[in-house]
Amino acid sequence: MTWLGEPQDEAERLVREGLDRAKQRVGDEVTHRRVWAKVAEASTMPERVSGRRWIWVSAAATAAAAVGLFAYVRYYQAPGASVDIVSVAAGPATTESEKSEDPGPAASASSGSAQERQENQLAPQESERGPGNVIRTRQGERVHVSLGGGAVAELDENSAMTWDAQHRPTIQRGIARLAVPHQPPGWRFSVTAGPYVVTVVGTKFDVRVSSRTVGVEVTEGVVEVWRNSRATRLAAGDSWQGPLHPDEPGASASSPSVPSSPSTTSSSPPAAWSPAERPQPVAAPTAVLATAPAPKQPASVGGRSSPEAETALRTGDPAKAIDLLSKTAQGTGAAAENAAYEMARIARYQLHRPRQAVALWDRYRTRFPTGLLRTEADLSIVETLAQLGEVRAALAEADAFLARHPQSERRRDVQRLAERLRAAQAIYDVK
Amino acid sequence: MGPKSTRNPLPSPAVIADAELVRACRSGDMLAWRGLYERYAPLVHRFASALGVPSDEREDAVQDIFIAVYRSLKHFRGDAQLSTWIYRIAARHAIRLGRRRRAREAMRLTMLKEKPATIADPSERSTQLATLDRMLGKLPPKKRTVLVLFEIEGLSAKEISDVVGCPENTVWSRLHHARSEMVKAARRMVS
Repeated sequence: MTWLGEPQDEAERLVREGLDRAKQRVGDEVTHRRVWAKVAEASTMPERVSGRRWIWVSAAATAAAAVGLFAYVRYYQAPGASVDIVSVAAGPATTESEKSEDPGPAASASSGSAQERQENQLAPQESERGPGNVIRTRQGERVHVSLGGGAVAELDENSAMTWDAQHRPTIQRGIARLAVPHQPPGWRFSVTAGPYVVTVVGTKFDVRVSSRTVGVEVTEGVVEVWRNSRATRLAAGDSWQGPLHPDEPGASASSPSVPSSPSTTSSSPPAAWSPAERPQPVAAPTAVLATAPAPKQPASVGGRSSPEAETALRTGDPAKAIDLLSKTAQGTGAAAENAAYEMARIARYQLHRPRQAVALWDRYRTRFPTGLLRTEADLSIVETLAQLGEVRAALAEADAFLARHPQSERRRDVQRLAERLRAAQAIYDVK
Repeated sequence: MGPKSTRNPLPSPAVIADAELVRACRSGDMLAWRGLYERYAPLVHRFASALGVPSDEREDAVQDIFIAVYRSLKHFRGDAQLSTWIYRIAARHAIRLGRRRRAREAMRLTMLKEKPATIADPSERSTQLATLDRMLGKLPPKKRTVLVLFEIEGLSAKEISDVVGCPENTVWSRLHHARSEMVKAARRMVS
């Protein structure tokens, strides 16, 4: 018998109705499809080392660290030694302990050159790369820190590094020289410095954080420095500097900052600031930590790239949301692409204007012919046209989809739909 | 006429058993993976909602849960039902998110001395849902998980004990207390 199946009073009725309603909260099809696009993308990423292996690796690392510390204390107390940080705790990967790791007069038991040590070092576990963990260097110390995914930071003297809530390495003060191997397609490596996020695909660069400024100097490759929704791109040889506290009065005047007017010392200035989606390597998949995926799909409307539009939608003003998104869509990058797609989605599901939605999706794919959401846009058009009863147009779109996406996992669905549309066309002789 | 394919890799994902789906997923069949996703995405979405993942984080949460499922499929032994196993992953993730969210809120309150404005998702403006979420929000995570699995997801006590990793008696006890606290909370709201 159902609990509270026969409610005795108003309170019990409230509970029962809420529970019954909650059973229907299964999300809409578009949301599932959008999530699938990202899940499918991430599923093709190379897998990281499993948690069980980490237990053994960490145990070995713990032992090595202990031996190393002992050896250092015993033999190498000279200041200025270059040190490797190895895994120091073997807690479960999901632990979010608050601890501070201060290497002190840091030690290294490894033999051979610094380069060899660096190559042999073990990456800290997730728990050690989590928020609250701090690595500090004192006068004359330098520390190599493995950041996962093959990325390594060399922390200069009097520097401090931690991890933010999104598990991004964060340079608190001092200088960090980072070497990041080329990341798999769609994946970016992010480092936070003050209010800025530096994202890279694969490169070498320095991040400096002083009491007033943040600086980035690129040795190899290309990096992007983000603040809020704006970014600047730096190529090899470029350097950039911005105020640590850009919102303070006078900060932008004395030292132009992101996003208002970045100052670069490049001989050829980096690309102009362009509206783009702020990297959000949030809630990294359990197996992926420091190497965060490329900016995620927005949660509801054009996403975090369009907070005003999101607010408008949530407060029941989809028309305003579309208006705001259309401005974002005029820009470039992921934010513009998302906005262009989301406008159609809102027109279809919030304003219930399927024809306008089809037109907007069509505009999206014209602008972003190889966009991330291209497949979804094509599918949405096919389905919307079919629902509108525009059999011939839907069939043409379905056939085009099958030709354009021969490897799509939705191929069968579209084939079935096309068959039904053909049958309908034959039976009813519809146009 | 083109060559006919004699290969029949998989029937429609809708009709194949979970075990078969898992086997195909493990062999890298993206169609099977898509089938598994489509089969369980609504469940994960509903479960995450009931466990208090806010609407603006839900899409990311569902994504992360499925990526965790995909990465862990090779460890799925088939001792429990696939749904039970997915519930376990989802519950862990949702509770972890809740912990982080509470920490963030506490930090915000400490720093700002004021609660940030929250805007309800228009798709969830149902009075019943809003009320339910408020009542569920008052339950401790363990009791909430059990109540949600039993009352919303329709799992048996045995299945819930597999998901949350506690004896069946504990499940019944938590459920009893959760129900009682829910009704009390509802009475307070009504009065």
